[in-house]
Amino acid sequence: MEDSDMDPEEAYEPSEMFENEEAKSGASTQEDEEDPDMKVDEEPYEIQHQEQILPQRVINLNRDLTTLVTNIQTAADAKESLRQAELEEARRLRLERLEKDLKSSQEIFEEITRGWSLSTQRAIPQELHEALNNQQQLCDGIIEDKKKLINDLQQELKVGDDRYVKDLRKHTEELDLMMERMEDQIKTLIKAYREELTQIERVYTQESEILLTKDKFEWDQHMKGLWEEELKRLTERTVKVEEYENIIHNLMIDTWRKHNIIQTKQHASFQVLERESKQLRIAKFTKAHTRHEIAESKFSLTNIKTRLSGMKKLMANLSDKYKSQRDEFTKKSRYLSEDYKRKIKQYECIQKQLKHFAVADGRKFEEMWLMIDAEVKQLVERALDIDSQICKQHLGVAWERPVMGFMELCGPIQPQRVPQLLHTGQDSQDSQRMMDPSVRKEIEAEGSAVQSESGAEEEEEKLPMETLKRVMELLCDKAGFLMEDTLLKLLIPLGKEEQTVVKLGSLLSYLGIEEKDIPKLAAFLLKYRHQQREQTEDVCDRSGESNNKAEEEETEPTTHLTSDLDPYDVVPALKSFLRQHMRSRESSARQHHSVYEAARDSSEDEAYWQSMGSVICEDQLRLWDTAEHKLRQYQGVLADISALVPETESLQQQNRELRMLLQQTLKVSTDLEM
Amino acid sequence: MSRSPNPPEAADPRQLRRIIAEDPHWLLSTVPSLSNLCLQSIVNRFEERPIWEDLSPVHKDFVQERLSTSMPLHVTANLIHDGVYWKRCCEKWGGIRDLTHYGNSWKRMFFEKHMENMIELFIPDVTEPKTFVEMVPLCKDYIKRLNISQLLPPVTEPQKEEEEYGSELVIENEDGPSMDHFDFNIMLDKLTNLEEFHVVYRVKQCGLNFQCKMFEMTHRDCESLAKAVKSCKTLKILRLNLSHMEDTKCRLLVKYLLDHPSLRELDLSHNLIGDKGARAIGKLLNRSSLETLNLCDNNIGGPGAKALAHALSMNSTLLSLNLRLNRLRDEGGQAIGKALLNNNTLLLLHLGANEVTWPSAIALSKVLVQRSTLKSLNLSCNNLGVDGGKALEEAMSNNSSLTECDIRLTEVEEQSASFVNQVVWTNQSLEQRRHARESKTKKTSTAVY
Repeated sequence: MEDSDMDPEEAYEPSEMFENEEAKSGASTQEDEEDPDMKVDEEPYEIQHQEQILPQRVINLNRDLTTLVTNIQTAADAKESLRQAELEEARRLRLERLEKDLKSSQEIFEEITRGWSLSTQRAIPQELHEALNNQQQLCDGIIEDKKKLINDLQQELKVGDDRYVKDLRKHTEELDLMMERMEDQIKTLIKAYREELTQIERVYTQESEILLTKDKFEWDQHMKGLWEEELKRLTERTVKVEEYENIIHNLMIDTWRKHNIIQTKQHASFQVLERESKQLRIAKFTKAHTRHEIAESKFSLTNIKTRLSGMKKLMANLSDKYKSQRDEFTKKSRYLSEDYKRKIKQYECIQKQLKHFAVADGRKFEEMWLMIDAEVKQLVERALDIDSQICKQHLGVAWERPVMGFMELCGPIQPQRVPQLLHTGQDSQDSQRMMDPSVRKEIEAEGSAVQSESGAEEEEEKLPMETLKRVMELLCDKAGFLMEDTLLKLLIPLGKEEQTVVKLGSLLSYLGIEEKDIPKLAAFLLKYRHQQREQTEDVCDRSGESNNKAEEEETEPTTHLTSDLDPYDVVPALKSFLRQHMRSRESSARQHHSVYEAARDSSEDEAYWQSMGSVICEDQLRLWDTAEHKLRQYQGVLADISALVPETESLQQQNRELRMLLQQTLKVSTDLEM
Repeated sequence: MSRSPNPPEAADPRQLRRIIAEDPHWLLSTVPSLSNLCLQSIVNRFEERPIWEDLSPVHKDFVQERLSTSMPLHVTANLIHDGVYWKRCCEKWGGIRDLTHYGNSWKRMFFEKHMENMIELFIPDVTEPKTFVEMVPLCKDYIKRLNISQLLPPVTEPQKEEEEYGSELVIENEDGPSMDHFDFNIMLDKLTNLEEFHVVYRVKQCGLNFQCKMFEMTHRDCESLAKAVKSCKTLKILRLNLSHMEDTKCRLLVKYLLDHPSLRELDLSHNLIGDKGARAIGKLLNRSSLETLNLCDNNIGGPGAKALAHALSMNSTLLSLNLRLNRLRDEGGQAIGKALLNNNTLLLLHLGANEVTWPSAIALSKVLVQRSTLKSLNLSCNNLGVDGGKALEEAMSNNSSLTECDIRLTEVEEQSASFVNQVVWTNQSLEQRRHARESKTKKTSTAVY
C-alpha cells in the first residue's frame, strides 16, 4: 500500500522504503539515513582528499550543510526511539491493565464458581434464584468489564492507526524536506566549488602572471648583464688581439730578416758546393758515360746477333717453302701444258669432224633440195597445165606461160646470188618501198658502207689527222653525258689533250667501238652531215634554225671540213652509226662463219619457195574459183538434165505406145468405117 | 529488430509503403554489398546456424547491431561477447541502469536483470523450477550480484488463515502447503561468480491483497536460504533486510553461516533480532572473517549487546559495527566500551538511538583516550547528559584519531559539543594531510618503480 506511492526517483534510496514499511510493521524506526549520510560525508571528504588546499570556507560549508541534512535524520531517529519507548510503555501499561483485569476477573470467576457450589448446597428455590441472580450479575459484570476492555483496546488501536498515518505523513514530509535540503546542498556546494575554482584559477593565473613578469624581468636583467659582460670581454679580446698581432708582426719581420740573412749565406755556400759537385759530377759522368756506351753497344750487338740468327732461320724456312712451291708449280705447269696439248688435239679432231659433217650435210641438203625442187616443179607444171586447160577449154582465153626464171635453177640458192636477185627482183623493190625513206637511205648508206669496207682504208687516208682530231674532240664534248661524273672530276687537272684522249677511251669502251673503227666513225659523221644537208634541201620546209644553218653552211662551204659537222647532229649521227656498226659487225661475223655453213638466208629460201607457190597468181586463182563455181552450176544443170532423161525416155516410150495405139485405133476405126 | 523479426506479420504493411521511416538502415539508393547480404542472412538464420567466431570484428559489430533480441539465450549466451547486442537486449527489457554498477558490462547487466526478474516473478508450485536449472549454466559466468527486491508467496487458498495462525503460534508446524518462497538452493551454489546477494522477503505493489504473511520469511525459507548461502563459496556480501527475522531464524541462519570462507559483509538491518539472535551473531563474529556488520533497527537489548561486546573484545577482523536503533541501554553501552579497550580493529561504531546515558559515554571516552583506532563514533539521540558531554570533551582533548563524532540530540552542553566538533575538525584536517602525504609518497613510489 505504501509502496504504491513510491516514486521511481526515490528508488535509488532504499532506506526510504524501508522506513515506510517499518512504520507499518510497527516494529519501530524511522529511516536509516546512513546511506545519504555516508554519501554526503564522503563527498567533501573525497574532495578534500583530492584538494588539499581547500579553504576553510568550503569545509565549513560542507559541514554545515551536511549537518543540516543529517539533523533531520537524527531528529527522526530520536523521534523513532521516543516512539518505540512510548510503544513499549503503552504495551507495558496494557499488559498491566490486562493483568489487573485478569486478576479481578479471576476473583470474580472464583466468586462465581464459589457461588455455584453454594447454590448446589441451597435447596430453597428463592435462595437459589437469588444466588442465580447474583451469579448473573457477576457474569454481567465480568462481561461488561471485558467489553469495556475490548473497547478501550480498540480505541487504542484506532489511535495507533491514526498515529501511524500521521507518522507516515510526517515521514514523507521529512523526506521531501531532506531531499530538498540535499538538492540545495548540492546546488550550493556546486556553486561554492565553482566559485572556489574560479578563484583558484584567478589566483593561479595571477600568480603565474606575476611569476612570469618576474621571471621575464629577471631574465632580461640577466641577459643585459650577460650582454654587457660579453661586450666587455669582446673589447678586451679585440685589444689583446691587436697587441698580439703587433707582436706577431714584429716577430715575423725579425724572423724574416734572420731568415733572409741565413738564406743568403746558405745560398753562397750552396753555390760553392754546387760548383764543386758539378765538377765532380762531370768527372763521374764521363766515366759513367763511357761505361754505359760500351755496355749499350754490347747489348745491341747481342741483340742484333740473336735477330740475325732468327732471320737466318726464317730465310731457310722461306727458301724451303720456295723450293717446294716451285716444284709444285713446275709440276702443275707441265701437267697443264699436257692438258693443253690434248685439248688442242681434241679441238682439231672436232674441227675435222665438223668439216666432215658440214660437207655431208651440204650434200644431203643439196640432194634434198633437188628432190623437193623437182617435186615442186612438177606440181608447178601441173598447176600451170591445169591453168592452161581452164583458160583454153573453159574460158576460151589464150593462155600465156608466165615468166619463171627459177624454173631453170637447179640446186640450192647460193648466197652470192641472192642479193643480186633481191636487188633486181620485184620483191625487194616492194620491201624497199615499204621502208622509211630515211631508213632506206641508211640502208643504202649501209650498203655503201658495206660495199666500201674494202675501201675503208682509202677513206681513212682521205681524212687528215687534224680533222680526225677535231671530230673526236667534238664527240667528246657532245657525248660527255655518257661519262661518269667522278671521271670528269678526276680529269679536270689534266691538260686538254690528255683529257680528250682519256675521255675518248672511256667513251669508246662504253659504246663498244674499237680503236680501229675511229676513222670509220669520223668518216660516217662527216658523211651523215652531208646527207642531212641533202635532206634539208629536199624537204625544204625545215625550221628556221636549220635553214639558217644550211644557209650558213652554204655561205661558207669552203670553210673547214669539220665545220660541216653540226654539233647538234652528233648524237643522232652517233646513234645511227652505232646501229649500222653493230649490223655490219654481225654481218662480218656471219661472213666469217660461212666457210662451213651454207649461209642460208631463210628469207631468200622462203621467197624462192613463195615464188614457186605463187606461180598461179591471185587473179588466176580468183578466175579459178569463179570457173569452179560456174562448172559446179553447170554440173548441177547437167545432173538435172540427167535426172530428167529417163523421164523423157519413158514419156517418149509412152508417146510411142500411145501413138501406136492411136494408129491401131485409127486403123480399126477406119477399118470399121470402112 | 530492424529487419522484422517475424516476417508474416510485419511484411504486409511494409510492402505497401515506399519509404519505411522506422528503419534507420533503409535507403533507396544504395544497393547492399554482398558481404552485407551474407551477414544479413547469417543474422536471419542465426538460430539454426550460429556463425560467430569466424567473423571479423567489423562484421561482428554488424551482426550485433542486427541480431534479434528475442533470440533464445542458449544460442547467444556463451557465444556473443559483451557489446551492442546486450545493450539492445537491456534496452528491450527497459530501464537501463548505471553501467558502472555492473562493471561496465552490458552482458552482466542483462543477465543479472534477467535472473532477478525470473526470481522476482517466481511463484512457488506454479513456475517450473526447471527453467532455472536450464538458465543457470548459461548465465553463471556473468552474474556477480543478485538484488532481489521481492519474493512472491505461493498462491493462497481461502482457508489459509488458520494455517497462518498455526505457523505464527507454532513455528515447528511446517507441514502442508506453507508460505515458503523461492528456494535458492537450486541455483545459488551453481553461480560461481556470485559475490553480492541481497534478498528481501516481501511483495511489492500488493495493494489491497495485503497480508502480514507476505512480508515474512518462514522457517523453511530461512533454512533453505541459509543452506544456499553456505553452498555459495564466493559470496562476499549478504543483505537480508525487512524480512521479519526473529531470534530462531537468525540462529538458524548463523548456524549455517559459521565458517563461511568468503563472507565479508552481513546486513540484517530492519529485522526482529533479539538478544538470542545477537548472541548467535556474536558467536559468528569470531567464526568468520566479517568486516562489516549491520544490525540496525533490531530488538537487541543489554544481554545481546554484552554478547556482542564479548565477541568484539576477541575479534580482530570487524571494521564497522552498526547498532543503530536498538535498545542496548547502559548495560550494553558500557559492555561495548569495555570491549573496545581490547579491540584494535574497529573503525566505525554507531550507537545512535540506543537509550544510552552518561555511564556509557564515560566508558567510551576512556576508549577514546586509550585507543586511537576508532575513527567514527555516533552517539546521537541518546540522553548522555551534561556529565557525558564533559567526559567526551575531556577525552577528545587527548584524542587525535577520531574524525567523526555525532553527539546531536544528546542533551550535551553547547560548549562541550562545540569543543568536540572542533577537535574532530582538526583531526579531519590532520587526517587529510596525512592522506595527502601518503598519496604523495605512494605516487612518488609508483613513479620510482
